[in-house]
Amino acid sequence: MKNFFVSTLLIFALGNLCHFGLPWWGIVPIAFVVAFLFPQSGFGAFTAGFLAGLLLWGVNAILLNAANGGDFAGKIGQIFQGLSSTQLLYATGFMGGLLAAFGALTGQWAKDLTVKQLEKDYYQRRRRSGKYY
Amino acid sequence: MRLFRFLFSLAATICLVWFFSSSLSVKGKDLPPLGSFFNPFSGFWKNGEPSTGVNFEDGTIPGLSAPVKVVYDDLLVPHIFAENVADALRVQGYITAQYRLFQMDLTTRKAAGRLSEVLGERTLKIDRETRRKGMMFAAENALLGWKKSPESLALLEAYSDGVNAWIDQLSPADYPIEFKLLNYKPEHWSPLKSALVTKAMAQTLCSREYDIESSNALQYFGRDTFDYLYPQWNPKQQPIIPDTGQWKDWHVLQPPPAPEAAGTIGALLNAPNGEMPEKPEMDRYSVGSNNWALSGQKTKSGKTMLSNDPHLNLSLPSVWFQVQIHTPESNAYGVSLPGTPGIVIGFNENTAWGVTNVGQDVSDYYTIKWTDATRMKYQLDEEVRSVVLRVEDIGIKGKPSFLDTVRYTVFGPLPFDYEADNPLRDCALRWTVHDVPDFSTLDVFLALNTGKGYNDYKTALKGFDSPAQNFVFASNTGDIAIQVQGKFPIRGKEQGRFVQDGSKWANAWHGFIPWDQVPGMKNPGRGFVFSANQHSVPPSYPYNYIGDFEDYRSRRIFDRLNNTHAATLDSMKAFQLDNFSQRAADALPAMLFLLDKKALNDAEKQMVAELEAWDYRYDANKLAPTIFDAWCDSCYALTWDEMDIIRKAKKPVLYPDGWRWIEMLQSDTASIFFDIKETPGRETATDVVLESFKQMEDYFQKNPSKKTNWGESRPFAIKHLALIDAFSRLDLKPGGHKTAPNAVSNSNGPSWRMMVELDKEVKAKGVFPGGQSGNPGSRWYDNMVESWAKGEYFDLQFLKTAEDTNEHLLGLQTFSPK
Repeated sequence: MKNFFVSTLLIFALGNLCHFGLPWWGIVPIAFVVAFLFPQSGFGAFTAGFLAGLLLWGVNAILLNAANGGDFAGKIGQIFQGLSSTQLLYATGFMGGLLAAFGALTGQWAKDLTVKQLEKDYYQRRRRSGKYY
Repeated sequence: MRLFRFLFSLAATICLVWFFSSSLSVKGKDLPPLGSFFNPFSGFWKNGEPSTGVNFEDGTIPGLSAPVKVVYDDLLVPHIFAENVADALRVQGYITAQYRLFQMDLTTRKAAGRLSEVLGERTLKIDRETRRKGMMFAAENALLGWKKSPESLALLEAYSDGVNAWIDQLSPADYPIEFKLLNYKPEHWSPLKSALVTKAMAQTLCSREYDIESSNALQYFGRDTFDYLYPQWNPKQQPIIPDTGQWKDWHVLQPPPAPEAAGTIGALLNAPNGEMPEKPEMDRYSVGSNNWALSGQKTKSGKTMLSNDPHLNLSLPSVWFQVQIHTPESNAYGVSLPGTPGIVIGFNENTAWGVTNVGQDVSDYYTIKWTDATRMKYQLDEEVRSVVLRVEDIGIKGKPSFLDTVRYTVFGPLPFDYEADNPLRDCALRWTVHDVPDFSTLDVFLALNTGKGYNDYKTALKGFDSPAQNFVFASNTGDIAIQVQGKFPIRGKEQGRFVQDGSKWANAWHGFIPWDQVPGMKNPGRGFVFSANQHSVPPSYPYNYIGDFEDYRSRRIFDRLNNTHAATLDSMKAFQLDNFSQRAADALPAMLFLLDKKALNDAEKQMVAELEAWDYRYDANKLAPTIFDAWCDSCYALTWDEMDIIRKAKKPVLYPDGWRWIEMLQSDTASIFFDIKETPGRETATDVVLESFKQMEDYFQKNPSKKTNWGESRPFAIKHLALIDAFSRLDLKPGGHKTAPNAVSNSNGPSWRMMVELDKEVKAKGVFPGGQSGNPGSRWYDNMVESWAKGEYFDLQFLKTAEDTNEHLLGLQTFSPK
């Protein structure tokens, strides 16, 4: 559970490095590395990634849109067959979320590969019995 | 198992990133890559500028010799204060690129026939036509001419380097939105591109000719009827330069003999054509402009005044970009053409100038007599000449490039030799725009920018070749002048009106009107000079010329200027915004006189009452202009059914000028041309007028929503350059008509309205239908559009120093040498 919040926060925070020269898909390797370093379940990693990516892209877009007053997004929405600026914001957040989610999931499953099979089984048994690692 | 799921997830992730990086096609439209477009770090969100606050940052530009200060006002006009012209132009290039980079890119791509590189196969046809017309050839030749003056070239390069300094510091996040939408990168600028910008304007302004249409009409109707239908001179014309005896003592260069009539090239004219030509509008003239200057005797202040409103296709971003350029030697303000240095229309502390287009035809087609079927050699008098082949490599996005081979002859290129069914297939184009100039056209404007009086103006204009313009001028010492300036071939009588025989060198152009014999006028006794694209001179001018000239705006403006006294800037506004149509004032009384009102029902009589009460003004809130316009078009079309018959046989043919038709309505009502060919009886003008009225009424019965006020009924649009509706303004409903001084039509109109009073402190007002910024996400993209539509103007901030303060100034930035 702790790793869930840490991952989300870290992916979000480090993702903002995209402001400083990282390519737009930079969140994918970032999510991969963070998930690798802070293991949890596959589902947890995916969700943490999704949340972080959603916030990263969504919040940044919201800030730009708010400063502009929403006019420009309205025009872009027209080009995309009449989407509203809100719908564009959702689409943006969703894209970011999806990218980070898969990046994180891949990182988590990469991590799983490095753990010996016995230990993995041990972890699984322990988890099922209600204790976390 | 774990390996599998890892590989699966890795594959899915890579696929996802790949998917968001690729350009998909949805319903035939290319989408930009979704990831790069939607992300908030480098995608479209970055192009939406903040709606409040400004931030003008200092910067460095390589190549500057000293710091340059730029003050911005609340219209985002940059006021450039530099130590020398080269620095000023370098910064002008930098700033123009900052605000109009996409426009500069698209304009030059269009002129160079390189649209398909970014828009794909759908623009291949346009690119081919552009290349075959020799646009790139023309730009290359212009540059050859400009290179003759190293000082000139250095200034052009300074501008170009300034543009490139802006481009070089751009990251993809900062690209204009259109580059992101169309998924391509800006490329470097060059002096050749500046040449392309001037050629694009030349294409708009002086590429029209009706050689084949006139040839067909001559062959079909015979000489006498041809002269009856298409007289070249309207007796009611007010030419730009009237005959005041100034030509009688001229030593005039001998014109060549008139070329043989088109009948000798009958084989050409009988060639099968491809498509049916479109039905032309009444009165062919579309691009045009107004300008005038008043001497102190006609103004309230006793100072000279100048006005100019160039009429062009209206687009966003606007054709023009306002700028002020201040150096220790001069201080000028006006509009510039993005991509070229200097100020094209404007004023400085002592003088003002403006331009309207000259309607002279400077494009002639010559038939080429091939000596064999390969069409590589042609006959010229006794000699056999070889064509020069030019291969045009047209890049197409996503496909291999298209290679087009164009034949060039001693006259020029053959634009249509690849279309088997084009009547001009074997014709070469001789066009002044192709010629290597003696002087740099751009130097002309730089000289006008720094001119101090009449003599500087005359010196500046010398050598300006194309597109020919009527340059109006006023100085604060009381001089006004106008000059019809351009490179005009010395023509035989009617030479160039028809397709000519290119196998005889005698038919070619042999010389041009000398620079000191182009028509001009200074300080006429009547106290004003003006032009509205009408005839340059009356028939008594010693050189022949042909072309298309305007007949209505000019007469109206003449009346107004002639009768004005104690004019102020407000009077000039009224003249510019005048919706009165001389064509309506001429045609409607004749039509109403001929209309048999006894044959009308009540609803129709109501319409007549509406028309009788009309003041001939195309005001947005009036119904009468809508009714008249529909009736007039219908009446004109019905009269010229003879032309329709020729056109339906797929031959292009000339339609008579509107003024000629109106003359016939007034005094030749039994003319054979009022007969409607389809019907067994013989109609006269009365029948045509009644029948067209009924047709008009019927049209409005079937389309009641169209019977509405003029502003509502016509589809006015200011479209984005790449025709993106979301970036266009489709909501405006201004008044005006192309035959009124306020020459607003569906997507064409006054692209800049300027008026200047040359007092000790120069006062000027201006507006254009757009904004300084080319970014649809900027609050300066279209901020002047509504004012323009309402007929409002802004005071132009003509600053003296970079330290001037007033409530319109937003901020200052300094550019330093690197």
